[in-house]
Amino acid sequence: MSTAARPPALRLGQQDLKCRASCGYYGTPQNDGLCSKCFRDRNDKQRKMLKAGDMQPILSGSSSHSHSHASVSAGGSSDRRSPQHFQVRETPKKQVDKEPDTSTLQKKKFTAVLQKTLQAGAQKIAQQRGYVPDPTESQFVKQLQKLRIPDDGKRKLKSEIQRLDSEIRKYINSNSSKNIDELSDAVQNTYTKVADIVHNDPRFEIATNEDRESAIDFFEKVVMTQNHKFLFSPYFTTDEESDMKVQKRIRQLSWITSKHLDCSIDEVNAEARDLVYSAISELVGIDSYYSPQEKLQCTVRCCRHIFELLKRATGGPASADDFLPALIFVVLKANPVRLHSNINFVTRFTNASRVMSGEGGYYFTNLCSAIAFIENLNGESLGISKEEFGALMSGQQPFSSPWESALMACESLHLISENMKQMERLQKKNGDISSGIAAFEKELIEFQREVTERVDTVMAKAPLTLLPIKTPAFLIGQARAQLLQELHEGEAGHYQANVLSGAHSLTVHTGMVKASIPAEESGLALKDTSISSIGRLSPLPNLQQPDNLFASPIFNYAAFDAVSLLEEPSSGGSGDVLMLGAELQGGLTNINYDFDLSDQSGENSTAEEAKLNLDEFDPLAQSSAPAPAVEPETSLLDTTMDSLIDSDVPGSCVSLPSPLKPEVANYRGFSNFEIPSISCNTGDFSSLGHDTGPTEGHK
Amino acid sequence: MSSRRSRSGPTLNFKAVLLGEGCVGKTSLVLRYMEDKFNPQHLSTLQASFVTKKVTLPDERRAQLNIWDTAGQERFHALGPIYYRGSDGALLVYDITDHDSFQKVKSWVRELKQMRGTEISLIIVGNKTDLEEQRAIGYADAFHYAQTVGALYLEASAKENEGVAEIFELLTHLMLERLSQRERETEPASPLRLQALDADDAVSVSDGEQSDGTGTGQRSCCGI
Repeated sequence: MSTAARPPALRLGQQDLKCRASCGYYGTPQNDGLCSKCFRDRNDKQRKMLKAGDMQPILSGSSSHSHSHASVSAGGSSDRRSPQHFQVRETPKKQVDKEPDTSTLQKKKFTAVLQKTLQAGAQKIAQQRGYVPDPTESQFVKQLQKLRIPDDGKRKLKSEIQRLDSEIRKYINSNSSKNIDELSDAVQNTYTKVADIVHNDPRFEIATNEDRESAIDFFEKVVMTQNHKFLFSPYFTTDEESDMKVQKRIRQLSWITSKHLDCSIDEVNAEARDLVYSAISELVGIDSYYSPQEKLQCTVRCCRHIFELLKRATGGPASADDFLPALIFVVLKANPVRLHSNINFVTRFTNASRVMSGEGGYYFTNLCSAIAFIENLNGESLGISKEEFGALMSGQQPFSSPWESALMACESLHLISENMKQMERLQKKNGDISSGIAAFEKELIEFQREVTERVDTVMAKAPLTLLPIKTPAFLIGQARAQLLQELHEGEAGHYQANVLSGAHSLTVHTGMVKASIPAEESGLALKDTSISSIGRLSPLPNLQQPDNLFASPIFNYAAFDAVSLLEEPSSGGSGDVLMLGAELQGGLTNINYDFDLSDQSGENSTAEEAKLNLDEFDPLAQSSAPAPAVEPETSLLDTTMDSLIDSDVPGSCVSLPSPLKPEVANYRGFSNFEIPSISCNTGDFSSLGHDTGPTEGHK
Repeated sequence: MSSRRSRSGPTLNFKAVLLGEGCVGKTSLVLRYMEDKFNPQHLSTLQASFVTKKVTLPDERRAQLNIWDTAGQERFHALGPIYYRGSDGALLVYDITDHDSFQKVKSWVRELKQMRGTEISLIIVGNKTDLEEQRAIGYADAFHYAQTVGALYLEASAKENEGVAEIFELLTHLMLERLSQRERETEPASPLRLQALDADDAVSVSDGEQSDGTGTGQRSCCGI
């Protein structure tokens, strides 16, 4: 596992060491991979070209050495890349370097051209690298904005960040001999200074202590993340050699078991092993973070896993006596990459107090001890003889005894069988689920079929018939009174508008009425009934459904004719509105049963009722009856689906009187309707009818 | 802790290491101390290898005390310097029934003196006073030795919970005293304040720590 998580080993090829101008001499990273002679030659050439102001030749001439020319032209910045990142880091770094160096106009122009290509290259390389991408400045700006410190403080913090940033870059780019300790001291001093500013500067006056601390943390994080590439394992230190050395050593020590270290890790316990693996992956992950804080947090997580492990093994809080051997064991098994570089980076460039206190500091110190122990390990410290140690280190003696190997093998077999069992269980569950799905699907199809069937039977048994409306005499009287009044007041426009809107709603809803009644969707249907019956009161020449129109009594009904209204003085015309409402209820019960609300089961009398309706009213309706029954058949399936869905939604019936609801739930249709229940709906109508009644006026 | 008053800003950090041979009861001392000081459910969380407690100084500055346990096995002896680098105090624990452990303490004292000079406060602790009848190191011997190296000497029993809290309170006190000494050297301008701190901080500090540590359970096992 540890090996799988590790990035490929970093190796230097011979060609990387040679001068890039292929003159046969060795080059150095400081001279951009060239030998000293080629470097000087090229610099001279470069300068001349720049002086001449001729940009193009450089661009074209640099095709073979475009990278190296670029960095030189950008101010001769010495390249600080460490050899193993020779290829990988080249392009992005140059891009960064260049920005502060564009002093002359020509250079600016040149870099602008170059930057575009470099940026594209950098993006590509960033993708190739595939680990944590550089947090961009914009991200930091966002974080800065989130800090709960005064804006002045933020500005100050930002300027301090920029200052330290440029200081570090200046130091790294300078040609003088470099000492990492100097740089470390400089950074530490800046930390102290910033801490002082944050705590004592009036600009931070109102911030709480926690916010101040987070501001300081932020400062460190930004500077370190941005300068990670310069400060992490710089070429002028021996970090890298130490990395290689310790890595090799750990590899040699791969035979060490927890017994050698006398620690209470049970290697054959699956649970313990999982925890060891979590600890290992955290430890390996240290390298993938940029800022010291994150590296420390990673260490803390690793150590917490170890403590958890020890707690389970020993049954109580673990002490340092148990912890250190366990940590050593984990480090040995993890063999993290660039261990020394990481440790040194944190030691040098994190806030000194961070490694001296707190959980992170303690664990980090322990990690340092563990590494020190590994480096100075000998037979004595493992409790074995010098000879045995030597034999094990050189690989002459096998790693473990046959008994241990057998134990490990048994454990593995056990694990395999456990996993097999688990797989079986999962397979069985899977089978259950798929058979359940099949059954459910079948059920659904069956259900749909059944519903369709039932709807069909209902449709066949009770075709939709629209019967003529019988308008009570008093209504006519009222309408006429209204009309008269309106005529006097000259407000025809108002009613005209009403009629138009009524017409619109009718065209929209008549179709629905037909469809939804077969679907037994009482809520909608009833609502629509009221609307369409309102509409039906007015003559509507633009109706789209001829069947409906035909069924509707409007055309042959003379009672609503404006003229006839005017002609016939009504006795009920003088009645007040409230009285009318009461009367309307009784009257409208007669109107509304022009919709055939028959029962699907046909067991009670609604079918006869429908018959009765047919007999009672205009014979014209009878002839038109088959039409609506046939027409919706195409949309029948859809309608049933809709109604299935809708019937689940109680909200669709909200506006209805409650007695209707149970009917919906049982799919009982309108079979149990009694006339009074419909009259409830007409309450709606009566209020509307008051306005709509006289709309004939516009005709 | 008012933010206005935090003139001197960042939290002061004190670090003390806990040294002693394996099996002398270093961890038991820590555990006993934490058990008494803190909620038992805090104790069961993770570990007993380091203690952090926050203290508010009389002048309202905040200080954090870190006590780090070290592995006592002989094979890890060489790693000592990594731990006591930059520490302000050390607790050297030995087992009064075990002569070797006392010799071990002596070697540590030498190392510490070499490395930290007088910058470090030393407390030598003879543990396991409950095993009085098996005592191998007399109180007087140990006390005299401590005096010669400029250390304080205490005896305790982690098992019987005798003198445990005193050790840690004394350590706290010593480190704070050292701080004020240091400040007196660097800041001679304000002797008044420091004198006040000297005079009554033996009591007031432990008070502050009590209310702070127990009240809010500030053993920081979660975060720095």
